[in-house]
Amino acid sequence: MKKELEHSFVELLEKHQNIIHKVCRLYTNNYDAHNDLFQEITIQLWKAYPKFRGDSKFSTWMYRVGLNTAITLYRKSKRSIITQDFEGIAFKIRAEVYDDTEEQQLKTLYKAVHELNDIEKALIFLYLEDKDYREISETMGISEVNARVKMNRIKTKLKTILNP
Amino acid sequence: MDELELLKKDWGKEGSTYKKLSANEIYPILQKKSSSIAKTLFYISVGELVFWILINTIPYFSSDSYRERLDAVYSNDYVFVALTALSYGVILLFIYLLFKAHKAISATDNAKKLMESILKTRRVIKYYVIYNLVMAFVSMLVGLYFAIINDPKLENTISHFNNKQIIVAYAIVIGVTAFLIVAVWLFYKLLYGLLLKRLNRNYKELKKLEL
Repeated sequence: MKKELEHSFVELLEKHQNIIHKVCRLYTNNYDAHNDLFQEITIQLWKAYPKFRGDSKFSTWMYRVGLNTAITLYRKSKRSIITQDFEGIAFKIRAEVYDDTEEQQLKTLYKAVHELNDIEKALIFLYLEDKDYREISETMGISEVNARVKMNRIKTKLKTILNP
Repeated sequence: MDELELLKKDWGKEGSTYKKLSANEIYPILQKKSSSIAKTLFYISVGELVFWILINTIPYFSSDSYRERLDAVYSNDYVFVALTALSYGVILLFIYLLFKAHKAISATDNAKKLMESILKTRRVIKYYVIYNLVMAFVSMLVGLYFAIINDPKLENTISHFNNKQIIVAYAIVIGVTAFLIVAVWLFYKLLYGLLLKRLNRNYKELKKLEL
């Protein structure tokens, strides 16, 4: 029975693992930390899996557990030295000469997203994943109106980071 | 905002850049232990229970004279028996509350509810610690009082004290006890402060959205 459960879980995870990678990409910025968070999210998903009912989509359920792990449950392991890397990157963006190519723009955008706080990252992540405000509000535990207001503020904030 | 649309478009392609884990690589992860805040809080609360139970029982088992004296008191005094029963009742109550609080922590709740469940567990542990610290302080005072009344040697020493000396002696004992208790309390503040720093910050941020 347990083997079957394990098998079905691994199969689903293998298929949808991109969601976890994306969460890790947003909340970490080095290889070790990425792997560490990936493992913790996987463990949390596995622990909760027996309670997973087919009535919600596996991927929807993954967003919730993934974000919860990243913003609440996860304790950074000693391996990852986040803050130092971070300052260096932030400093570098401003020093770079602005280049109009799409690639350069994207690079700057990703860096700007990295400068947001944990909650803002969660909201922007759900937005990028094309979730509607109902799902965003249900995942975060805030009202739809507040989710909408906050999202607009984040967009403005990103704009300010991009065009200081 | 055009830039965000650009980001969204690119985000869709995101993920394909990562090294995909095969099923064989995923299986071993399932065997690993979680190092989440919930798990750490669980260990701390179990440690907390064990620690305070030991603090309260070790003197009884490690010192013969203390045990004899206590046994003498217990056989005569129902108040002490009742107090002890009460203190074990309180421990059982806390075990129940902690069990319930830990059970309520679920990674599948929404973010706000999950944070609240964790903070609630932390509160239960906090009350348990406060209860023990208050009890330690009260027992210290009561113990001192009974020691003076029942111990002829101590009583003899004190009877030679003048009023000022008695006040100073009391002040020193109370001061030292209070200092130790405050030190323990600060240690807890620091411990939980460090552990839950990010959680508290994120919870505040989320609460701010509701205003």
